[in-house]
Amino acid sequence: MTTADLSTTSNPSAANAAMASSGVRNTAAWKHCAVIALLGVVAWFVFPNQLSLLARIAIMAILVISLDLVVGYAGLATLGHAALYGVGAYAAGIVATRLTGDPFVGLAVGALAGAITAGISGLLLLRYEGFTFLMLTVAVAQIIQNLASKFSDLTGGSDGLSGFSIKPLLGFSFDMQGRTGYVYAVTLLIVCYYAAKRVTDSPFGLSVQGIHQSRPRMRALGANINAQLWKLYTFAGLLAGIAGALSAQTNAIVGLDSLSFEISAEILVMLILGGAGRLYGALLGTVIFMLLHHTAATINPYHWLFVIGGMLMLVVLVPREKLIGWMLPKAWRNKMRRA
Amino acid sequence: MLTMLANILIDGIAYGMVLFIIAVGLSITLGLMRFINLAHGAFAMTGGYVAAWLVRVQGVNFWLALLAAVLTAALIGALLEALVLRRLYRRSELDQVLFTIGLTFVFVATTNLLFGAEVQLIPLPLLLSGPVDLGVRTLPAQRILVLLAGLAVSLFSWWAINRTRFGVWLRATVDNREAAAALGIHIRWVFGLAFAFGAGLAGLGGVLGAELMPLEPYYALKYMVLVLVVVSVGGMGNIFGSLAAALLLGTVDTASKYLASGYGSLFFFAAMMLLLVWRPNGLLIKAKA
Amino acid sequence: MKPKLYITATVTMVAALLTATHAFAVDVKVGMIAPFSGPFAHYGKLFKDGAEAYIASQGGKLGGKTVQLIYRDTGGPNPGNTKNLVQELIVKDKVDYLGGFVFTPNAMAVAPLIQEAKVPTVIFNAATSQITEKSDYFVRSSYTLWQVTVPLAQHIYKQGTRKVVTAVTDYAPGVDAETAFKAEFTKLGGTVVESIRMPLPTTDFGPFAQRIKASGAQAVYTFLPGGPPNLGFVKAYTENGLKAAGVEFFGTAEMDEFDLQKFGDAAIGFTTSFHYSAAHDSPVNKAFIAALTKQSKDAVANYASVGAWDGMYIIGKMIEATGGQRDGDKAMAAARQLQWESPRGPVRIDAKTRHITQNVYLRKVERVGGVLINKEVLNFGQQVDHGLTK
Repeated sequence: MTTADLSTTSNPSAANAAMASSGVRNTAAWKHCAVIALLGVVAWFVFPNQLSLLARIAIMAILVISLDLVVGYAGLATLGHAALYGVGAYAAGIVATRLTGDPFVGLAVGALAGAITAGISGLLLLRYEGFTFLMLTVAVAQIIQNLASKFSDLTGGSDGLSGFSIKPLLGFSFDMQGRTGYVYAVTLLIVCYYAAKRVTDSPFGLSVQGIHQSRPRMRALGANINAQLWKLYTFAGLLAGIAGALSAQTNAIVGLDSLSFEISAEILVMLILGGAGRLYGALLGTVIFMLLHHTAATINPYHWLFVIGGMLMLVVLVPREKLIGWMLPKAWRNKMRRA
Repeated sequence: MLTMLANILIDGIAYGMVLFIIAVGLSITLGLMRFINLAHGAFAMTGGYVAAWLVRVQGVNFWLALLAAVLTAALIGALLEALVLRRLYRRSELDQVLFTIGLTFVFVATTNLLFGAEVQLIPLPLLLSGPVDLGVRTLPAQRILVLLAGLAVSLFSWWAINRTRFGVWLRATVDNREAAAALGIHIRWVFGLAFAFGAGLAGLGGVLGAELMPLEPYYALKYMVLVLVVVSVGGMGNIFGSLAAALLLGTVDTASKYLASGYGSLFFFAAMMLLLVWRPNGLLIKAKA
Repeated sequence: MKPKLYITATVTMVAALLTATHAFAVDVKVGMIAPFSGPFAHYGKLFKDGAEAYIASQGGKLGGKTVQLIYRDTGGPNPGNTKNLVQELIVKDKVDYLGGFVFTPNAMAVAPLIQEAKVPTVIFNAATSQITEKSDYFVRSSYTLWQVTVPLAQHIYKQGTRKVVTAVTDYAPGVDAETAFKAEFTKLGGTVVESIRMPLPTTDFGPFAQRIKASGAQAVYTFLPGGPPNLGFVKAYTENGLKAAGVEFFGTAEMDEFDLQKFGDAAIGFTTSFHYSAAHDSPVNKAFIAALTKQSKDAVANYASVGAWDGMYIIGKMIEATGGQRDGDKAMAAARQLQWESPRGPVRIDAKTRHITQNVYLRKVERVGGVLINKEVLNFGQQVDHGLTK
């Protein structure tokens, strides 16, 4: 990949041609989305009694995709991403409580709230890198959580914001089995995945990856680093806000835990399990983590920390290919080696 | 009004000192070794648990138990460093963060398994229990020990790093590993000892801070954020910076408890942000233009 | 590595995990919602001990039917997760009853679910008054802050104290406690000189102890969530000389038997108003403690385990009334009539509010036989949930 390809001026066809010729993989986003849609349909038929769990996984996946943009593509490790998610959730909840139960209005407001929070905090945060940036994200998230707790008239405080109901989505009401919620969440997952993939494969996305790789080089090329990062961060905030709004609407409750440090840390773990820097990695990591957690909690919740702690250490120490290799039967392992 | 200010200062400094003692070890490993060890809280917890077990169950003298706790934490730190953490020095920050978080989880789960979820108390010797009358108000004797210990730790750490040969070796190794090795400095030993030193200090903090930060399995995770805040504001590797940061932030937190406790830890983190923005390289280091 | 293989491997694992279920024939299924991991895991154990001890004491069956307890871990106050767990319990596992609930937001989250599915849900611990109003299928075997605070406020006033400072942990139950105390105490003519709110993650209670001292109050009414904060507060109270300065300590659940021994002699004389003391002198209570110890050596008899014990009693009676069949309305109708002698004393389910009406006792911490106990010194009599009638 020659440095000339990383220009930020948009000349899509030229850029695409350059990328194709230099061998950069640019699988059409719709292919990935088709796979997700297919899996979604299959899951509908095979696991009809666990749709609410699957919906929750889909929502988390959107959040982790959003995190991947910041951590994996832009290279900014953050432990405050839950703030963007929680703000989106509370915004959607407050809209449903005080304005209208229309799900699309709530969704839009939640997305906007996430984007605005990212935009405003990003103005300050993105001036810093590395450890300082990490700690500042923690501070911002904690401040927002404390504010949410303090203004309990608006947010319900530690009891959570509840008592609102969401109007039927295109005629389908949010039922007990979670079917409407599931379709809603998976559809939005596909939309967000598509959007994220298009952004990361675009010249803009490549310039962000370039910033991750080497800031001085990008600066030398004339890129405006702060502007690019800010745009990405705000976009990630938009996606996180969507995830938050979805969570508020499908659960009909928003708790202070949606702004918590625990969620920020958990989604980071999910991202790493699946592999940062690849969007489908974010998706897979989420699925693996949440299913493992769900199963472990069902069997014996006391020792979940052993499992996740051990997994984290394993994933960091051992390259992913080797790990998956251990789990697969010999035949597949040989196939992998030949690949 | 004056009594309130005096109270805020006294309580704030006492609280800050505990934070400092736990954080200084992390500042050393983070700053001098450039290794993000989020399992640092686990070392503090280990020290605390060892002391608690020795005093309560085995009836050992408090001061001996304290020494044993520090040595145990240092030993565990050294072992971990030699066996596992060493391989992560070259890895990315994120990898170090995640691995040590995983390690912390395992520490927490193990503690839960071995000791149960209850809080572990460390019975204090007669000398330390009970209040000391300072004239203007009473202060628990244990806090005075913490204050003195904090000062001692900061002076000793500074001396060790800036005035001893070991300190020279450490700083040389951090600045340029290859050159230091070429000069005959045993890098492995230097790093191992430095890490053990940091872990031992954490253990000390765990024991001395047990009055304020009760020892229970989730200790290692709960207070990690606080410690990280102190280290980042103080500047990595900057001992007196960490001291200043801990005392300052401790006072801010205490002041908010006295004056506006409805806002929780908001002022603590707001202060942290302001300080970081003002002095991103550390409290006592002027920001480069 | 090729994404296709990676994805296939994951999908296979996912399918395996999702289909991991186990089922065996049983008459009645009860879902138990509590934290089993995390900093509140002791609640889960207390519930488990209390519930299983009760079933064992009834010969292993409730209402003549075999019962399966399905435990689900909420991890803490986590309404989204709890809602999912309950949804799965109702739709996939097809539970007949639900029990547990430590935290209010978790209970609130499942209200619409149990309303729609008509699943009677017994609250073993959550103490906010409005929970029972959110669904007709909630019945409570725990207590509410109003219920135990109002008689305490009356007692404090009656003994001549006129100036009290409240110091509560800043979250919903704490605020509830503060509101309840203030309302009753000021109604009687007393003054609450200051209302201190202590942030939930507080570890250093020194500043708050100093504020209490400086407020000039004759007594402090406190609410703390249990665990490390309780220890920290009691320590700060003693170390800062509040006892010596003559500020009386009043609380509710703070002298919980789970941590009581840790306070040491510093806690002797602390007065609390609560609905259950392990030292309650009655044959039913002694049988309860015996059954608990038989169930699990390290089981603790406290308000959480007795909440589970009585909660299972209620479920047992509901099973009896419906003959083991799923009929939410019939079960709730039966629950509303219940009246029995619990290890805490005589109790009754209020037909209208579905809350438990029970004796509230004034207790003082004393050292008897080498251990610290909450000795019941006064019986305030049967108290309703004052939070609902205010």
